[in-house]
Amino acid sequence: MTSAPSLHRRLLGGLALLLLLTCILLLLQSWYSAQRSADRAHDRLLASAAQVMSDHVGWRDDRLWFDVPASALNMLAPHGDERVFYALVDHEGNPVSGNADLAALMAPLPAPGAFQAGPATLNGRSLRVGALGARLTGWHHREPYTLLVAHTLEARRAMTWQLFRDSSLRLAGIVVLALAGLVMTLRLALRPLKDLRTRLKARTAHDLSPIDVTVPRELEELLAALNALLARQRQVRVHEQRFIGDASHQLRTPLAGIAASAELALRSDDTNRWQQALHEIQTGTRRATRLAEQLLSLTRLYSPQAPLARAPVALDTLARESLIRFLPTADSRGIDLGLAEHCPPLSVDADRWQVEEALSNLIDNALRHARSRVTVGIDAAGRVLYVEDDGPGISDSAQADALRPFHSDQAQGGGSGLGLAIADGVAQAHGGHMIMHRRPEGGFMIGLHLPGETS
Amino acid sequence: MPRLFRTLQRIVVIGIVLALATTAGAEEPPVSSPGQRHFPGSGSERLNIQGVVEADVLHPVLEAFHQRYPQITLNYRDASRGARQPSAGIPADVDLLMSSAMAQQYQLANGGNAQPLGRGVINPAWPESARWRDELIGLTHEPLVMVYRRELADIAPPPVDHAGLLALLNQESAALAGRVATYDPARSPTGFMAVAQDMARSQEAWGLFEAMGAADTQLLDSTTAMLEGLIEGRYLIGYNLIGSYARRVVREHSELVLQVPTDYALALQRLALIPTTAPHPETARRFLSFITSRQGQQIMTSRTPLGSPLLAHKDPAKTNESLEPIQLTPGLLALIDPLKREALLHRWQTIFTLGDAVVPQAVEGEVE
Repeated sequence: MTSAPSLHRRLLGGLALLLLLTCILLLLQSWYSAQRSADRAHDRLLASAAQVMSDHVGWRDDRLWFDVPASALNMLAPHGDERVFYALVDHEGNPVSGNADLAALMAPLPAPGAFQAGPATLNGRSLRVGALGARLTGWHHREPYTLLVAHTLEARRAMTWQLFRDSSLRLAGIVVLALAGLVMTLRLALRPLKDLRTRLKARTAHDLSPIDVTVPRELEELLAALNALLARQRQVRVHEQRFIGDASHQLRTPLAGIAASAELALRSDDTNRWQQALHEIQTGTRRATRLAEQLLSLTRLYSPQAPLARAPVALDTLARESLIRFLPTADSRGIDLGLAEHCPPLSVDADRWQVEEALSNLIDNALRHARSRVTVGIDAAGRVLYVEDDGPGISDSAQADALRPFHSDQAQGGGSGLGLAIADGVAQAHGGHMIMHRRPEGGFMIGLHLPGETS
Repeated sequence: MPRLFRTLQRIVVIGIVLALATTAGAEEPPVSSPGQRHFPGSGSERLNIQGVVEADVLHPVLEAFHQRYPQITLNYRDASRGARQPSAGIPADVDLLMSSAMAQQYQLANGGNAQPLGRGVINPAWPESARWRDELIGLTHEPLVMVYRRELADIAPPPVDHAGLLALLNQESAALAGRVATYDPARSPTGFMAVAQDMARSQEAWGLFEAMGAADTQLLDSTTAMLEGLIEGRYLIGYNLIGSYARRVVREHSELVLQVPTDYALALQRLALIPTTAPHPETARRFLSFITSRQGQQIMTSRTPLGSPLLAHKDPAKTNESLEPIQLTPGLLALIDPLKREALLHRWQTIFTLGDAVVPQAVEGEVE
């Protein structure tokens, strides 16, 4: 038996996978949010630096004048080693002062009062450029201008990384806790299963009593199924015991008859009496042998070690052959045994030995109950192999019981009481069932319905 | 002097200053001169260094490097002598560019004209404040100082700080007329740095410069020239001299006194970078690795006046409290903002041409 993956491992694996996926999503999210935070913080820095610079823009000698403050430039390098660029351009975009042509990187330039920031590339270096639109505040000059500031991304990257590292560390802590909790919860949750297993292991082979244990709802169904199985097992055992009792009883009757005949013959000196006793003994032995054979058939039918050996069986041929075997018996009883007038050929996939056994039992049974006539026939449309007799038949209410082994009705008339049970067993082994009904024109029919493909 | 002449003179000066920003100056042929050192190497490797330190000063270091790596053909060119280069560009054959014009060097690196120095090149103990982005490295740490002749004490008590100097100039402007020397910011980027930093520190500095203008202060283009004038007795006092040179000269000339201003003394760093256009960046890295090593620093401190930022950093007790290092920050860019530079020089020229100033020669480039 190959064992399926352990429940524990499967649950842990599934949940851990889920946790991993969540982690990846959270890490991605925290990376983007760290980037956004860093950009926001440093864009604000760009804006402040530009604002500080704009306080130093004025009008002198009929042109824009700019006294760039060192402190504002230092502000642009929070990490200390950024490359820093700045530029002042007039309203037409002409450079007034600065150390790089930033206006070319930022188009269109923002309107006075607006600030905008964005990524740019200067000489192959990634930059973040901020542009502040402003206007001179003098009484005579209201000249608009734009201040552009830019820096390389070291501080942003450092801050992004730091934020990301912090949130990753937090996440790692949470994951460790969650995993520990997961393992503990799984152990607790799976403990009832372990208890059940321990109890089942501790049971003896004869103990078929219901398992009395409190289990979680998910296991209740399993436990109920298990208890139902146990109940069926108990019933099977009761049946078996009764069967064994019945079988012993049935065997005892012919054996007791044999013993009584022998005893009577021994007391007598009459040879005729001996002769009669020997005949009685022969009859009793035959009955006992027949009973033993039938018991063997029934055991084989129920035995799981002997699977069906299915092969195409021509039922019409089978019926004819069986009929011939029973002709002497029928003759001796004065019964007309014959094939139905219309007997179409029918082939079924079945175990030939079993079908023959079932048919023999049905014919034997019919011969015992018939008054004068027994007919074997085939209903090709209904896939039924039947035996009909003109005996009293079985009343509707007794039909179900008649299929049980050693049923009293059957035992009358010298039958073993196993014939119909064997036929029923064969029918069920082939996926079919028994059919019994009284014919309107008189007579009682018992049939074997065998489903399956015709070959 | 007639007014018209003065106005003409002013126009000429402004024209020259404007020309500085756009055109290259007169070229001199790069022949073997005191501004050059050439060490032929045994191998095929080459290293071209351009600096603004006199070759004499740097000679012990160059020699030690050459002894250590004899296969490298080493060329040193002092850009303050010989061929002058436009400040915006870097000559294509330079592997290592050193200058105390911090703002220019910073701007070059900021603009992406320097290549990374690389891992493990610089002594790991090198102070963080003397590095930027693994592209710029401060090799020296030099205060700007005042130097005066001892006979100044005959006129007035020598100044110890900026306010003292201002008071002295205001009180004794007649006695000091023509005998004060300082950098010309229009011609020397280092001098411009000094003036711009003084200005950035406090607007009061204009008071001092106006007093200097009134005292007919001589504008020179290098510390060496100022020291020469001081030794010869042409000048009584010099302002904003590079400390390392001054210290060496003062040690040899007892008539000179070096005064580190007690209120604040700006400390320049000589910044080195490897240009992206450098033909031999590997040998440049080897040189930087050598000069920042213990051995290189020992030579720098014992055999040159340049000093070691490593030692200054390690021994804070020895460093002067008034020392204000100029930081390697983007703020340096503000010093050489084109508009600002123009305005500062304009105002400077206004002050110094109103006085009886000499007309500066139109030269451009890195001059100390």
